[in-house]
Amino acid sequence: MGYLFDPDNWEWLITANNLEFLLEGFLVNLQIALVALVCSLILGLALALGRLSRSRPLAFLVGLWVDVWRNLPVLLVILYVYLAMPASWREAYEDAAPAFLPDVMQTGRVFAALLALVLYNSAVLAEIMRAGILSLDRGQGEAAAALGLSYWQRMRIVILPQGLRRMLPATVSQLITLNKDTTLVYIIAIEEVARRGRILTGFNFFGGVQAPLLQVFIVIGLMFIVTNLALSRLSRRLEIRERERTGTMVEPVAGLEDQVVATLPAR
Amino acid sequence: MSSWLELLTDNFDALASGFWVTLRLVGGSFALAAVVGTLVAALRIAPSKWLQRLGGVYVETFRNIPLLVLLFIAYFGLRRAGVPINTWVAGIASLGLYTAAYVAEVLRSGVFAVSRGQIDAALSLGFDQRATLRRIVLPQAFRTVISPLGSITIAMIKNSVIVGGAVAINDLLKETRIIASRTFETETAFFWAAVGYLLITVAATIALRRLEQRYAIRR
Repeated sequence: MGYLFDPDNWEWLITANNLEFLLEGFLVNLQIALVALVCSLILGLALALGRLSRSRPLAFLVGLWVDVWRNLPVLLVILYVYLAMPASWREAYEDAAPAFLPDVMQTGRVFAALLALVLYNSAVLAEIMRAGILSLDRGQGEAAAALGLSYWQRMRIVILPQGLRRMLPATVSQLITLNKDTTLVYIIAIEEVARRGRILTGFNFFGGVQAPLLQVFIVIGLMFIVTNLALSRLSRRLEIRERERTGTMVEPVAGLEDQVVATLPAR
Repeated sequence: MSSWLELLTDNFDALASGFWVTLRLVGGSFALAAVVGTLVAALRIAPSKWLQRLGGVYVETFRNIPLLVLLFIAYFGLRRAGVPINTWVAGIASLGLYTAAYVAEVLRSGVFAVSRGQIDAALSLGFDQRATLRRIVLPQAFRTVISPLGSITIAMIKNSVIVGGAVAINDLLKETRIIASRTFETETAFFWAAVGYLLITVAATIALRRLEQRYAIRR
């Protein structure tokens, strides 16, 4: 305890721009999470619709794809994509990355990280969305069909707006998990907050003075707690609002950590 | 195709030992998560406001911090602070305490899912507080939490990979990376690692489904 609260061990926090150095790293985490989330939402919706498709072979193949990716450890996926990705892909990304992005986000490594996170999270989100769509009363789709709407019209006007709104809390929960998972790209040497924490506590920083590792990582942990706590509050509020509006309860989907899915009548 | 099988047979011992390390890691963490998770859930339904708050702080802390950061604190952080902690203790403690937060949340929701009328009925029949909890509330609560507990277990199996990624424990992923860097057959090595992990998660999923069919109460 003496070690933990010893002022000497906290001096690094106000020395030079150490804190700024960490916060900049944390910003990279948030950016990776945000970009991965947007891409995963789009791909996830396509996968969810594919799995619900009337065509049996398509539904089976998409289902297999989704089940494999969401049952693999995300760190394994990150490492694999990074190691197996051809150098030409990475170079292509470096050429094509828009210039307004920060330097770290323009590196080929980040492309591998994003691709891996999207592969995993799109599968998870597909499952969340599918549960949301299935939770709707059958009558909704049947009524829309009886009114003469085509498949795409039914989806766009009737099914998706209701099903996806119901799944909004679960999606925010998944964002929390995704935000935590962004620290894993540390393993492929992207300079995000965990990597920067290691740099700060390494031997050759600031003329041989190393920041105490315990304290540095407690500060990093606090950054995540603050952002994720805000997100989980948001998720809970959305969930309560949805329950009050539609009178439905949410239930978990298999294999996720933070999750709510599939709706049942309220008791 | 033959080279794929060859990689498996050539490195079978290493892969099998990694697989076994992963299983032990998961088993130890699961036991810790079950014990700590139950204690924290007990805090959260305790009659005292302060105990409830304490449980709440535990859950929010461990649920919102990345496991990797937790591992760094538990292993490298404590080591630099002079605590001679070893990789297994740090690994199991991190994964177990992290998962315990989820377990506690699920157990708490399970207890609250038992309807108030059940408790009132038990009390009016002359059960005391303790007997009500033990004979009426907990058996029903247990049956409602089987499915979410299973989800958490599967997530924990996947998270065990992070332990091998951060500290020197030769789990399945670590062995795979060693093989990949030695043979340069990255695709093949990772394919077999993926098969190994799917074997565990799919087996857990099937066992869970069996358990659910027998005991779970659908709500």
